[in-house]
Amino acid sequence: MQITKLDQMFDILKTRPKKRLVAAWAVDAHTIEAVNDAVQMGLVEGTLVGDQSTINKVCAEHGIDPGSFRIVHVANDLKAASKAVALINAKEGDFLMKGLLSTDRYMKAILNKESGLMDNGAILSHVTVAEPMNYHKLLIFGDVAIIPLPDLNQKIAITNYLIRTAHFLGIEKPKVGLQAVSEQVLAKIPSCAEAALISKMAARGQIKGAIVEGPLGFDLIIDKESALIKGVNSEVCGDADCILFPNIEAGNTFYKTVGKLLKSELCAIVMGARVPAVLTSRGDSEKSKLYSIALAAMLA
Amino acid sequence: MIKNLDELADHVIGSGRKTRIAVAVAEDTNTLSSIIRAVSEGFVHAILIGSRQRILDLCAQEELNPKLVEILDLPEELNATQTAVEMVREGSADVLMKGLVGTDKFLKAVLDKQKGLLPLKAVMSYVCALQLPRYHKLLFISDTAVLPNPDLEQKIAMVNYSVAMARRFGIDKPRVALITATEKVSTAMPNTLDYALICKMAERGQIKNCIIDGPLDIFLACDPTAGEVKGVQTPIAGDADILIFPNLESANSFYKGLMLFAGAGLAGLIQGTSKPVVVMSRSESAASKYYCIALACLMAGEQ
Repeated sequence: MQITKLDQMFDILKTRPKKRLVAAWAVDAHTIEAVNDAVQMGLVEGTLVGDQSTINKVCAEHGIDPGSFRIVHVANDLKAASKAVALINAKEGDFLMKGLLSTDRYMKAILNKESGLMDNGAILSHVTVAEPMNYHKLLIFGDVAIIPLPDLNQKIAITNYLIRTAHFLGIEKPKVGLQAVSEQVLAKIPSCAEAALISKMAARGQIKGAIVEGPLGFDLIIDKESALIKGVNSEVCGDADCILFPNIEAGNTFYKTVGKLLKSELCAIVMGARVPAVLTSRGDSEKSKLYSIALAAMLA
Repeated sequence: MIKNLDELADHVIGSGRKTRIAVAVAEDTNTLSSIIRAVSEGFVHAILIGSRQRILDLCAQEELNPKLVEILDLPEELNATQTAVEMVREGSADVLMKGLVGTDKFLKAVLDKQKGLLPLKAVMSYVCALQLPRYHKLLFISDTAVLPNPDLEQKIAMVNYSVAMARRFGIDKPRVALITATEKVSTAMPNTLDYALICKMAERGQIKNCIIDGPLDIFLACDPTAGEVKGVQTPIAGDADILIFPNLESANSFYKGLMLFAGAGLAGLIQGTSKPVVVMSRSESAASKYYCIALACLMAGEQ
């Protein structure tokens, strides 16, 4: 089934065997509540890695039953990150979530060459799924948070992550728009040139499972009429499922426009490690955290 | 539509036009016999520039009639070359042709910024029409002679020149194959990246009047069965009119191999100049030179 609303992830997850979430340094109310919500809804099983007494205290303060989780005691945030990763590597968990530790420490544990979660040569990237008002389907896009200025190989990896995410959301042949400043192939502008290359690679079957078109201005990606006015006749235009942004500024601005200006729902995960990783920030809404957990569970 | 090199000559003869050709240092037998053949067939007025004495001696030796041509007696090579270029530049001749002068010296005169024939910023390149016993039509190829390692902009110029030439032959929307060893786009093979960009440019209307695809190998370009075998869908479908090669070595070896082993015929022309320029190596046959002259006349004609 193709998902067009984020809520539909809940319905699907409830019918499946529960995936096991491992939350690193889950010692704050934000994290514990989010995990608790997901557990209570029957979406996942939860493991909290953190200081046992702090977890108990927070649970008591918020009327949460600590018996709903598996709790793995560690003394500090640094140990929590490596312990959470170790649990994943020991197959005691299916995906990762960041608690009250810094993104830096969380990522370092994932990226650690000996004990981390990366296969050789893998590229870590951030994938967002949004439900923008005014648009008739979900939009999957990246990278808005991890790779500042992706090179061609990184863009290809990101494109593949967007496609894989779409597949897990039931979109059989997602339409991917490669955003650039213009739909013209301006060889000296990397966003245009690299989009043309990726689009041709997809036409040659070097990127599979999607229809990939670019370079396209943002208007052409989401609006068929704009595309036709500019003489671009592609089935991607006006019906895109995925958007590859050429750099983090473009992606991040869009992400925040959707979240803060349109007040539309969105969620995100980190891909490229052996398992999906949730990377919510405290500024995210409870709903958004829950969606991110659900998205990771869908892909785990 | 002009389907082979003899039809090319017939077309030019049938046009009833006489193209004025200035030949720089017309002092070798292949040049003389091909140009005099063109004159006697009525489609060329020849102005031979060089040593009158040597030209007359060669005509006597080859039993050619020197009365058919105009001779400008300039025995000194550089002077003869510059004068020939000047005549074409100022419009007293329509086509420039190289005789017995080094290609370097000849092109230096053509490329001269003040007195030459190349417009500012124009890319000079070379396009050939190849006639192949085992292909169903003429095959245009570029660049066999001028650009050693064309960059993206030069490749685009090669495409545009080849398309313009094919259209003169009556092929309204020629099929252009961008040739390399594979159909895959790979950073390990930079030419495949240029090709992918060119294709997308054509898709966006930045390159016009053709059906274009690449990277492709020669099988996918010229063998209709190859697409299915390789599982590659291409609008060229083994029916290419034009092959663009990634560099001079590959293009040059392709045509010379076919001339030597497969009995190919050829007509080629410098591209990018304000008027057609015929440059052939001394080893080229009189027949090839004759076809080159016919091609120059076709390209010199009104659009």
